[in-house]
Amino acid sequence: MLRYLAGRLAYVALMLLGLVVITFVISNVTPADPAALAAGPDATPDMVATLRREYGLDRPLPEQFLRYVTDLAQGRFGRSIQSGNTVGEDLLRYVPATLQLVILAMGFACAVGIPLGILAAVFRHSWVDHGIRILAVSGIALPAFWIALLLQLVLAVWWGWLPTGGILSIAADPPPTITGMVLFDALLAADWGVFADAASHAVMPAFVLSLPCLASVLRVNRAEMIEVLGSDHVTAARAHGVKPGRVIGLLALKNAMLPTLAMIGLRFGWMLGGTVLVETVFDWPGIGLYAVNAAIASDFKPVMGVTLVIGLMFMLTNLLVDLAYGWLDPRTRSA
Amino acid sequence: MNRRELLLAAGGLMSVPAASLSPAYGFEREGDRRIIVFSGNQPVPILDPHQRYDWSTRMMQRCLYDALVRYEGAPARIIPWLAESWDTSADGLTWTFRLVGNAKFNNGDVLDAEAVRFSFERGLKLNKGISWMLSRHLKPENIAAVDARTVRFTLDRPYPDFLSFLPLWFIVNPKQVTANAEGDDDGQKWLTANAAGSGPFRIRRWDGQSVMALEAVPDYWKGWPMPEPERPAGVIFRVMRESAPRKAALQRGEVDVASGLTPDDLSQLARMPNIVVSDNEGAAPFAIMMNTQKGPTADINLRKAIAYAFDYEALIAIHKGDAKLMDGPFPFVTEGRIQLDMPRKDLDRAKQFMARTPTPNGGLELEYLHVAGNEVQRQIGLVLLNALQPLGIRVNIVGQPWPTLVGRGGSPETAAAMTAVYVTPVTTSPDTVASQYASSAAGQFWGIHHLRDADIDRMVAEAAVELDEAKRLDLYAQIQRRVVDLQPVVFCMTANQRWAMRSYVRGFQHQALNLTGEMDLWSLYVARG
Repeated sequence: MLRYLAGRLAYVALMLLGLVVITFVISNVTPADPAALAAGPDATPDMVATLRREYGLDRPLPEQFLRYVTDLAQGRFGRSIQSGNTVGEDLLRYVPATLQLVILAMGFACAVGIPLGILAAVFRHSWVDHGIRILAVSGIALPAFWIALLLQLVLAVWWGWLPTGGILSIAADPPPTITGMVLFDALLAADWGVFADAASHAVMPAFVLSLPCLASVLRVNRAEMIEVLGSDHVTAARAHGVKPGRVIGLLALKNAMLPTLAMIGLRFGWMLGGTVLVETVFDWPGIGLYAVNAAIASDFKPVMGVTLVIGLMFMLTNLLVDLAYGWLDPRTRSA
Repeated sequence: MNRRELLLAAGGLMSVPAASLSPAYGFEREGDRRIIVFSGNQPVPILDPHQRYDWSTRMMQRCLYDALVRYEGAPARIIPWLAESWDTSADGLTWTFRLVGNAKFNNGDVLDAEAVRFSFERGLKLNKGISWMLSRHLKPENIAAVDARTVRFTLDRPYPDFLSFLPLWFIVNPKQVTANAEGDDDGQKWLTANAAGSGPFRIRRWDGQSVMALEAVPDYWKGWPMPEPERPAGVIFRVMRESAPRKAALQRGEVDVASGLTPDDLSQLARMPNIVVSDNEGAAPFAIMMNTQKGPTADINLRKAIAYAFDYEALIAIHKGDAKLMDGPFPFVTEGRIQLDMPRKDLDRAKQFMARTPTPNGGLELEYLHVAGNEVQRQIGLVLLNALQPLGIRVNIVGQPWPTLVGRGGSPETAAAMTAVYVTPVTTSPDTVASQYASSAAGQFWGIHHLRDADIDRMVAEAAVELDEAKRLDLYAQIQRRVVDLQPVVFCMTANQRWAMRSYVRGFQHQALNLTGEMDLWSLYVARG
């Protein structure tokens, strides 16, 4: 097992190196000049040169790359040329907000998607199944930004139930930082006012972010459940008089969960990428919005930092899923 | 309860909050005082007044800092602020400013001549942001604090436009900057998200990417423009990237003022109760810059043909009437502007010019490059496409991100035949605008035309140091005529500057040199009642 884990971690490291090379090359082949943009529209060539020197952009590309990789190895992501802040500090500030959003969205997708998948499978070809499948197709087919704008219009503007965006009311004082995720920090601090405020801000972005994942989980879970419910051992269990709830909950669901788990792992990575759009529409101060602001300004170090963080999380999630696979299905351990 | 009754009950329940929409008071408040919430699309990554000055940054800087003088009104005029008076020597080299006696920083320190000297020296030495405005004419060692209330600048050469730049040079507290400096960074890191100013507000909470909350300084040395009971407790700048959520937040009353809304959104909002749209003449000209050095548009006849084929009235229609066609190369805020007989749609004339080109029957394809996602610029591209069809010119409309557009415009080899650009004047200085057509501008975003003309270069250099006002204005008039003759640009329009705000917001004062979505937040308050 340890050998397997070490091999997988080495693979992750190799993939990360590939990601670093690709992001560095892409950042440097675009015709935009980050120093000129950061220096401002009226800057003289001398002012632009000052910034280039300050950020090492006047050095040859191989040297810049070597320095970047060396810094990364020491846990440094470089500095944003737009703000002068170190990207590592910025990421520490913005990652918790994104994680909060992803955890909520993933939790909602699983909590709703898995039971709906079971329902659709149990009541296959009934109106329940058709209704759930329409929901699944809609979740995948409808553009997230469209749903986001529609929800803002209906829930925030027309009905006034929820705020249009942000992570917390402007006048609200954030809870003491424990995890960095305001919702969970408010919970830990038992600050119910702030908790309710943070929850109301999280509802719409988490829901929109969860939809594609919810739909995928639902579809996969339904298909697997249908297959398992038709298998011999389930038929045998039913014939032996095992109660339907036990058949579905224990026998069928456990077997159907393997592909669903793989889907959840894959979707976690997609979800991190999806935060770029959702955070932009809902002004959610996470790494997605941070990356958008940086990309607009051709501020490449933050963009590269966010790409690496998302890439790393994606790879680690997949690794965890693979390990969970082995735990759930002993047959895969030796593979 | 049957299904029908359940649905009716649900519908009724949902309509309750809808009916209670549109609060009649400010959404945010502290005690019995209101807080003004402004929303725009651009973050403020660096607050340091000597490092950066784009519109959102400058709006926050104006809340937190003061300058020697200030722009006011439309057309913009300079009024005294930290300086109560000033004079210039006969040779135009020495400028002496007398400071007011009651100015103080927000931490209680006195704002004196030494602070002014320190701030200008810092701005020049950092060689960032605002330094280009004065670095050609002023050396740091030639700024002197004569006494506690007198500061003197000795320029290297006469520069009549000197005063026009000073509203952008904010004064920082030397003690705070020095105390928070890290190594030799002159306090740059600290001032990124902290302030050391004397302005009407101080920072309460700062995240330049999303929310910036400022609290009012009750005893602001300059005083407040509204009655004391109406004075807001603070202002909040909420960054909202997308136009639609910004509009939604305004409708809901989450924000009091919204900038950067689309013409369609503004038209809709103007018809809604409890919302007003402030419509003001804009100062940022929109131009289609043509590559004067490479490709077909290097031929002046083709440039003239394009200028006479273009449908200018369509520009007004795109802006739903809220724009004004340019009647000269200088925007209306610039000193020395003259009105000229500009090209307007005249297809016969366009064909005459086309006949003088190597391709009189057309058969050309020209690239029109605009900022990706800017719908107005894309629509103007469509107007261009239609307008040039009779000349046999195909237009390839390409949208690219702003950094790429600027990067491509850096060289005539990579610049598109036609590039859409807004150039916002930051001061009333005619030198700044005239310099956009000098050879030295080539490669900057305002010089994507890459125009090279010895006469313009000479006149720009002469006018910049000319002390005789009549001669100076005459030189600028000649420059404007020459630019129109050479047609490096299709001079289009200035779109109106518009903000949508809740009807309870009072105290709005338009200042013609406000950049893009910038607004003076100091004078705003929420009407009681």
